[in-house]
Amino acid sequence: MEKRPNIYLPEIARIVEVRDETPDTKTFVFRFRDDQFHDSFAWRPGQFVELSVFGLGEAPFGFASSPTRKESFDITIRAVGALTRALHAMGTGDEVGIRGPLGNHFPFDDVQGRNILFIGGGIGLPPLRSLIHNMLDERDKFGEITILYGARTPTDLVYKEELKEWEQRSDVKFIVTVDRSEPGWEGNVGLVPMLFSKADIKPDGTTAYICGPPVMIRFVIQDLVSMGFAEENIISTLERHMKCGVGKCNHCCIGHKYVCRDGPVFSYKQMKGLLE
Amino acid sequence: MSRALKLQKSRWPEWVAALQRTAAVIAPVRLHGEDVAFERITSPSEITLDFDNTADPPKRFLFPQVEPLLRYRRNGGYAVEPVYDEEPRVFFAIRCCDVSAVRFFDFTLGAQDLPDSYYTARRAGTALIALACHEPCQSCFCVCADTGPFLPPGGGYDIQLTDLGGEHYLAEVDTDKGEALVAAAAELFAPASDDDLAQRRALEEASEKRFPSEPRLYFAASSRKVSLDTAEAELWQRMARWCVACGGCTHICPTCYCFNVTDAQRNGDGLRSRRWDSCQYAGLTREASGHNPRPEQSDRVKRRVFHKISYQYVARDGMQGCVGCGRCTRICPGLRLGLPEVGEAIRRAEWK
Repeated sequence: MEKRPNIYLPEIARIVEVRDETPDTKTFVFRFRDDQFHDSFAWRPGQFVELSVFGLGEAPFGFASSPTRKESFDITIRAVGALTRALHAMGTGDEVGIRGPLGNHFPFDDVQGRNILFIGGGIGLPPLRSLIHNMLDERDKFGEITILYGARTPTDLVYKEELKEWEQRSDVKFIVTVDRSEPGWEGNVGLVPMLFSKADIKPDGTTAYICGPPVMIRFVIQDLVSMGFAEENIISTLERHMKCGVGKCNHCCIGHKYVCRDGPVFSYKQMKGLLE
Repeated sequence: MSRALKLQKSRWPEWVAALQRTAAVIAPVRLHGEDVAFERITSPSEITLDFDNTADPPKRFLFPQVEPLLRYRRNGGYAVEPVYDEEPRVFFAIRCCDVSAVRFFDFTLGAQDLPDSYYTARRAGTALIALACHEPCQSCFCVCADTGPFLPPGGGYDIQLTDLGGEHYLAEVDTDKGEALVAAAAELFAPASDDDLAQRRALEEASEKRFPSEPRLYFAASSRKVSLDTAEAELWQRMARWCVACGGCTHICPTCYCFNVTDAQRNGDGLRSRRWDSCQYAGLTREASGHNPRPEQSDRVKRRVFHKISYQYVARDGMQGCVGCGRCTRICPGLRLGLPEVGEAIRRAEWK
């Protein structure tokens, strides 16, 4: 049979490393089994893959690492259902299916020269980390870079070692907060929006990237708008239950847009226009 | 391309037999009782041409209710291979509304910017012999959807048959595939005359006049309200009280194509399949966290209508997602939530 492009056909990837992030979250480092395929695999921050755990099906996950670091790619996953729990039981050398990259990506080329503000909440930091790494690897193309991150508790912070590095960098302003403190925590306590007053944000000339739980995104957008951010400079991602990842199965539509194909990245201006 | 031929009525079984030599023929068959359904026939004698429309649309032959996508095997590492169905097939005596629905699938599943290779593989080997309608069937409103009772050239058929009333069918051949179907039994066909073509036009006009004034769907008005989100919210809630979320309207719809994907496996070997899903089910949008962006049945009823008739989807998919077959009206347990009834309620802003 002739070989034809098949939008549902996954490539086999191997887990090359697993890192514990929090009690329920791990970062998986993947590499395609076929080296040639791996070398040709290109993605942009904000895109996602459909990850197969054979026997359990597929689920969508965003890239957590930058395409400038091509040797492997990271996906950070919280165990919430059957597929993610099975994945958490897997280890180095185990194989999964990967279909992608899918969806659109965070604006990158269009924001060169601008200040960049990242606002991450909990498990929403991983997709931003893909862009953060990408921008830090091309640091001279951007103005000030500010990263604000919040999690429920200090235990729930992901990439703990890396956060310390960001804190120490002179070319990045990084501020972290937790909703509830724990013994040994000496940092900020409170919700993410309280960090705005500490960060000296200039709405003009800044593009904001937000990723986190829906309720956080909603409040953060309100704050940014009232600070004077233009709606097209507020960028976030939408989440929906997805099956095919290619705009066919209709699980993820909002209005006539498919989160999997037209998104998952939308500006606030675009989100407001989504009608159903 | 379009040329008109004549086929002697008494000889269509010979033509079908000739078609069967190279393809599976799928045609209307009378089942126990009264229902007529598309089935794969073994002999032309099984076919009935005395039917208004089939109980269910022929979509399951192009987009099966359960369709294998991938087979995977674990032998050390995983090996994955696609499962294609490329058997050549001919739909014989498919009604114009259902031809239009196949055309809709060509725009959506088959969209060339991102083709679904399972659909396109099956579709590539499929030919459509349409049978124009002289009589409207119960609940149909194809005149409102502009998908019948006859189709113009380029309407999606390979051949369109019209019963000319006497001894002959008119066969309008519109594609290369259609030419090949004629070539399978060329001796059965003769050129049509200008009188035959005039007769066909007269039959089309007469047929259109026979459509009842109800149910009638004024798509433009209801589509405008749905597209602009100006339909009264209260309407959706009232409709939702009638809806038992059985999904019948979506499963019976010749243009609905929502699907879910599941794996089944034994000893590491497995099959990934897709199966029909429905926007009327709460589970369509429920996320792993338990959050559901369409929590109420009224959200889901609204969703269905939006996907069918909003301008946004018409622009996206190339045509409206309703072909006016009326099956949703017939299948609804309350007989209330078919698209003509819902569309009319939106237009009038009342649901009693």
